Amino acid sequence: MTAVELAQTGSLPQKRKGAIHWWRSYTAMLRWEITNMRLLLPITILVQAISGAGIVLGFGLLIPAMEPATAKYLSTGAVVVTLILVGLVLGPQLVAQQRMSGSYDFMWSLPVPRTASSAAWLSLNTLIAVPGMVAALVAAALRYDIAFDISPGVVPAVLFTLITGTLLGYAIAHAIPNPEVTMVVSQVMIFVIFGFSPISFPAENLPGWIAGLHRYLPFEHMANTVRGSLVDGLATDIGHSYLVLSVWAVLATTITAAVLGRRG
Amino acid sequence: MNADTIANPSVIRSGHRYWIDSYRNMLRFEIVNLRSFLAVVVVIQILMGAGMAYMYGFYFGDMPEIARTYIVTGIPALALVPVGFVLVPSSIMNHKFRDTYDFVWSLPVPRLASAAATFTVFTSLAIPGTIVSLWVAQLRYSIDLQVSWSIVPAIALTSLMATSVGFTIGHAIPDPRLTNLVTNLIIFLALMFSPIVAPIEQFPNWWASVHEVLPLYNMANVIRAGLSEGLVVSLARSWAILGAWSLASWVLAAWVVGRRR
Repeated sequence: MTAVELAQTGSLPQKRKGAIHWWRSYTAMLRWEITNMRLLLPITILVQAISGAGIVLGFGLLIPAMEPATAKYLSTGAVVVTLILVGLVLGPQLVAQQRMSGSYDFMWSLPVPRTASSAAWLSLNTLIAVPGMVAALVAAALRYDIAFDISPGVVPAVLFTLITGTLLGYAIAHAIPNPEVTMVVSQVMIFVIFGFSPISFPAENLPGWIAGLHRYLPFEHMANTVRGSLVDGLATDIGHSYLVLSVWAVLATTITAAVLGRRG
Repeated sequence: MNADTIANPSVIRSGHRYWIDSYRNMLRFEIVNLRSFLAVVVVIQILMGAGMAYMYGFYFGDMPEIARTYIVTGIPALALVPVGFVLVPSSIMNHKFRDTYDFVWSLPVPRLASAAATFTVFTSLAIPGTIVSLWVAQLRYSIDLQVSWSIVPAIALTSLMATSVGFTIGHAIPDPRLTNLVTNLIIFLALMFSPIVAPIEQFPNWWASVHEVLPLYNMANVIRAGLSEGLVVSLARSWAILGAWSLASWVLAAWVVGRRR
């Protein structure tokens, strides 16, 4: 007797689908992820907040007599760095840990749609990232007296940045089978994002070829969309940035879907 | 092995010949133990030293010559930080994770010889990466360095000091996960909140006086004195503080390592 016949005779449950099933799966998975991280979650959020505020305050110590424009760049950049780090560094590391501890395959064997568990993952990342972002903003406002001009555009900008970053990190984590390689890639990622991406400083400060590369990579465009929604006059051509980010998001989704959708 | 020890294995071997033999064996043990790690150490140092030299440049934009000199002369200290304060404790931490920690201490060698071997390996291991980082930074910022002979003891002794403090952190903190947290904190502090690549005068007073007694600023200060002229003040004080940190870490390490559980 095949599975289909079994299902028809009623001895195997019918395959569940539909919006309600999806929503229930999503909330269950979100609860699962949060419970799974319950001990780590407060520390992770705290570390995020400290690193967000730390970037703002630390460079203030190192750069003497910072000009208002530099301060604006740095502060808005710190916001973006915290958003990107969660998706592209912390996310892959958590998946790598699941693989190392052997719970990875179990997670995917749960009877929930894979899009629902991906959406739960995205929500968890948002939960972790937002406090870091707020801490960076508060630190910047207190330290440099920056008058932020926050427009409604902040919602799509932050969501786009988070979603693209998380999806990219997700694609990396699922496409690389060896967790140790994932850990190394995420460490290199910190270095690239923090030191060699025009997020907290203008692209003109970079050597020409790196700046050229960043026209096609997502980081500068993430910074541009978020910066445009926080302060006036620093961001240009936001539409183009959204376009580049969309391409990256689609690419990452395709890779993740291909990796997760196939049967091992 | 003489007849005495065969007849009575509980006789404790001693004497300086025995000590030197033990030291040599432990040195070999440490190097073989770390073999695949050795290349990683140099790579990490160059990333942290030379990589940061470039990075600071991106963040700071155009800089006057004095600021560039501060960055270049601060880089060797920055390159020493990951070895002493991170790799030494994490090599000890790895023994604890893998449950080989007690095995190493059960080897029939004087503990001082074993500790001296660790110090020797890491102190010398740190030096090539430090020199390469300095060279890269100097190329990047094209600064004329005024190198004096005092750079040799400055790098050797700051490296020894950092290794000693790292050794004590690794042994004194029982939980390896806590060690991990502490080392990450030190890196964060060194990269963004320390007067290593910037003059201490531009720091707020209270924070500057904290740094005057911590090792990071003083490491940078004595190395800077060997690479430049006219930038460094209170050099003797820095030496004294580094000496005090070394001594204190040795005393604490001796107590932690020597006690029986």
